[in-house]
Amino acid sequence: MAVEALYLHIPFCRARCAYCDFDTCALDPAALKLEATRYLAALERRIDEFGARGMLASVRTVYIGGGTPTVLGERLPGLVRRVRAWCAPEEFTCEANPESFHEELAGSLATSGVTRISLGVQSLEDDELSAIGRIHTATVALEAIELARREGFSVSCDLMCGLPGQHAASWRRTLERALAAHPDHISVYPLTVEAGTPLANRVARNPSLLPDEDFQADCMEVARSLCEGAGLAPYEVASYARPGHACRHNIAYWSGVSYLGLGRSAASMMGAGELCDMASLIPGASPSQGDARARFVQADGRAHTFEFEFLSEREALAEDLMLAMRMTAGAPPELIGRAQDLFGARFDQVVEMALAEGLACIDSAAGALVPTARGWLMGNELYGLMWGLAEA
Amino acid sequence: MSCHDAGKSSTMTLMNTTDTSHIRNFSIVAHIDHGKSTISDRILELTNTVEERDMEAQLLDTMDIERERGITIKSNAVRVMYTADDGETYQFNLIDTPGHVDFTYEVSRSLAACEGAVLVVDATQGVEAQTVSNANLAMNADLDIVPAINKIDLPSAHPDEVKLEIEDELAIPADDAVCVSGKTGEGIHDLLEAIVFLISPPHGDPSAPLKALILDSYFDEYRGVVATVRVFDGGIKKGDQLQMMQAGHAFLVDGVGVKRPAETLVGELSVGEVGFVVTGLKDPEAVRVGDTLTGALRPTAEPLPGYREAKPMVYTGIFPIDNKDYENLRDALEKLHVNDPSLTWSPETSVALGFGFRVGFLGLLHMEVVKERLEREFDLDLIATSPSVDYHVYKTDGTMLEVRSPQDLPDVTRIDHIEEPYLKAKVIVPPEYTGAVMQLSIEHRGIMTDMIHLSQKSVEMRFDIPLAELILDFFDQLKSRTKGYASLDYEFADYRPSELVKLDILLSGDEVDALSFIVHKDKAYGLARGLCDKLKEIIPRQLFEVPIQGAIGNKIIARSTVKARRKDVLAKCYGGDISRKRKLLEKQKEGKKRMKAIGSVEVPQEAFLAILKVED
Repeated sequence: MAVEALYLHIPFCRARCAYCDFDTCALDPAALKLEATRYLAALERRIDEFGARGMLASVRTVYIGGGTPTVLGERLPGLVRRVRAWCAPEEFTCEANPESFHEELAGSLATSGVTRISLGVQSLEDDELSAIGRIHTATVALEAIELARREGFSVSCDLMCGLPGQHAASWRRTLERALAAHPDHISVYPLTVEAGTPLANRVARNPSLLPDEDFQADCMEVARSLCEGAGLAPYEVASYARPGHACRHNIAYWSGVSYLGLGRSAASMMGAGELCDMASLIPGASPSQGDARARFVQADGRAHTFEFEFLSEREALAEDLMLAMRMTAGAPPELIGRAQDLFGARFDQVVEMALAEGLACIDSAAGALVPTARGWLMGNELYGLMWGLAEA
Repeated sequence: MSCHDAGKSSTMTLMNTTDTSHIRNFSIVAHIDHGKSTISDRILELTNTVEERDMEAQLLDTMDIERERGITIKSNAVRVMYTADDGETYQFNLIDTPGHVDFTYEVSRSLAACEGAVLVVDATQGVEAQTVSNANLAMNADLDIVPAINKIDLPSAHPDEVKLEIEDELAIPADDAVCVSGKTGEGIHDLLEAIVFLISPPHGDPSAPLKALILDSYFDEYRGVVATVRVFDGGIKKGDQLQMMQAGHAFLVDGVGVKRPAETLVGELSVGEVGFVVTGLKDPEAVRVGDTLTGALRPTAEPLPGYREAKPMVYTGIFPIDNKDYENLRDALEKLHVNDPSLTWSPETSVALGFGFRVGFLGLLHMEVVKERLEREFDLDLIATSPSVDYHVYKTDGTMLEVRSPQDLPDVTRIDHIEEPYLKAKVIVPPEYTGAVMQLSIEHRGIMTDMIHLSQKSVEMRFDIPLAELILDFFDQLKSRTKGYASLDYEFADYRPSELVKLDILLSGDEVDALSFIVHKDKAYGLARGLCDKLKEIIPRQLFEVPIQGAIGNKIIARSTVKARRKDVLAKCYGGDISRKRKLLEKQKEGKKRMKAIGSVEVPQEAFLAILKVED
């Protein structure tokens, strides 16, 4: 299996959001220009190195994420063209923040071959946006959605629930206004407080800011019902899409498809054999016998250091099952068959437990094991069962 | 007279002599935080017993738990050689005593080994409750008392007033009180001189048959039980044939020595001295605190007075969370038992918790310490269940049953009546707190029997109180309601009939035997409500709603509900998140391992001791 999904990481922002623990740094325009030039040079060199060896030829989806890729301005379409020189992906997503997604940039991204825009909207209430350190307003966000639609992109927007000051009515307003702007895709993320973020410090001082799980559960249920009503069907824990607009790149992450991540902190997953094939470009890669799958993260901007993790065949399959349970379509018959072969009766027991606890059910038409509504909101219980299969 | 130099680096002789005039056996007693450990440390340092670079705080407390909690659990005896201003070298045996009401008997035996006590009083705090109770203990043991006023380096020190307090409240002459600072070392030399002059040397007959008191014992894998002893008559040498007068065991002495504080072998422990005896015995119960050691061939006529068999006061179930650890738990109990012979246990089975043991303890602190040691030193995850006392259940058929676990209580229709153990408790407290103590006593079903004004500043209150009431939170409550001034001492009184009922707890409709406990019927409703609320806080929300009910027989008397958890999912899970996600799941699984699945309900360890956290 060759790499079918390519991820590029842009670790720059104009301002860091209060909840964010991603690898990114907030820079003023002058510093950004300097840093970005250096960073992009290294990243484009990496793209060429892989491309020249034919390792990007089978890439079908590309995703440029961050950080905030759109802070790169006109250098961003250049990066897109650089990638397109080596492959012909059917889906090419670029993350964008509303305040840096301008008419001119939108046009050149469309021309350079971006097909999908994922907008970090988060909320359509200005006070909620400023409380989490976003530097755009609701109006700017709605204009960005409109602009992306005009340029012919498949448009996604990210929304967050459980924000400080958010309540049932304001969440419903955000959803309704977002859906009224006709995006093709919506992602709904409950806010999580990550250690070391400014939000975590605020929560430590004022525990009432800690998102309430019950409220977030309500928010997720409301989102599901409103999205479905607007023709966006759920296909994963956080993801809703119009027919044909599900994110193929993200589905690759959840279905055991090999992916390559380039740039600082970018993560890759592939078979141990595939890693051996590209070992000359991944310093330190040395899978042992019995390793079926490799996961690795680029630790620096220059791709000198990587952190590796190797999974056995059992672990890789348990991981596939765990990730399949995130998706509304669940585990297909082919995956179930492989699990039965490898795990034997243990797998049947785990399925029994998942069924008994109401976390999953059998979709007899598709022959798939699919998560129930409880298995959706209480997913960790279901994933824990599946990942438990990895233990010998 | 013989001299031995057994320590490799020691340049001093350890002076074994049958002349007792150069021996001083004493203990240091104080109210908590008045500086007992600091002064002990300073004495070891100033007499060059321990080099400064080897000093660590609370040197005599060797267990991690002792150091962490700042309490002494095990007795310890250290020999210190002091060359006094008169040019003579004296042998000091400093006997460290436990400092908690659970260990009252052990303290009394340690004090019986002393001729004197240094009574440490904080120069800024003055005489406090434990100063009074410790001074009383020392005076009852007929000890010479050397008052030492500590912390005189502090600006708020008022040593002259403290001297007056010592005279007024303790009736101890304070002319000779020594002013010291454990922190700076000031006055420690004067204190050492005072110990020489104010504490009597031991008396005894070196040629009489051996009579030695066992203060404590510990177990050594290679040498068996090692007993800490005080020789009253005769002497002990390696090769002597000895016997325990109470427990009856005989043995050949494998070695004798002293702690400085490292173990150092000596040729003989002679009359008046304190040291250790290697018994070679493998059964820890053969060596009992308070027993008298004597010659097997030439025994002494009478054992030393004051011996008491250490009887457990409180029983709890101890269960491994993972039933596979049952054998490991048994081994661990056996290993702890060798250093703590007061520990008793018998197998217990619970429907909810599987196989475990009903373990007897001297008190709740003892229980906490043992459980913590089992978990830490033997790497076990354990559940302790509600503490219980030893009830006497009289059945309708006329027989009596000893019940130490609520599960063993017969059906109500077969019970004629139940008797529970009562204690005679003695509380010493400043007069302004007598009302608070009386209130507390009433809440705990105590009956006041006497109230004696000891001085203007202290009152002794005597109560008869059920042991079961005392073992819960009585001591902590007493401390908090008297701002730490009260001291508590108690002894067993008798068994008395009580209206007791068994309170059951149901989780999701099923009775959980390990959560049941026996309670006075007047308190059942309040406790049931308190316990249901407390369990609701402790039991985490899970997939299903968990109703919690308190019941007596078939009657539900309290109820609360743990709502079902609605959301537990990490919504963002893309390329780089997947490894992290798996680690999170593994962590959740580890967390669950520390809980006990009862039916479909995951119950954390602390739920089984929730009764201790219920406020009245």
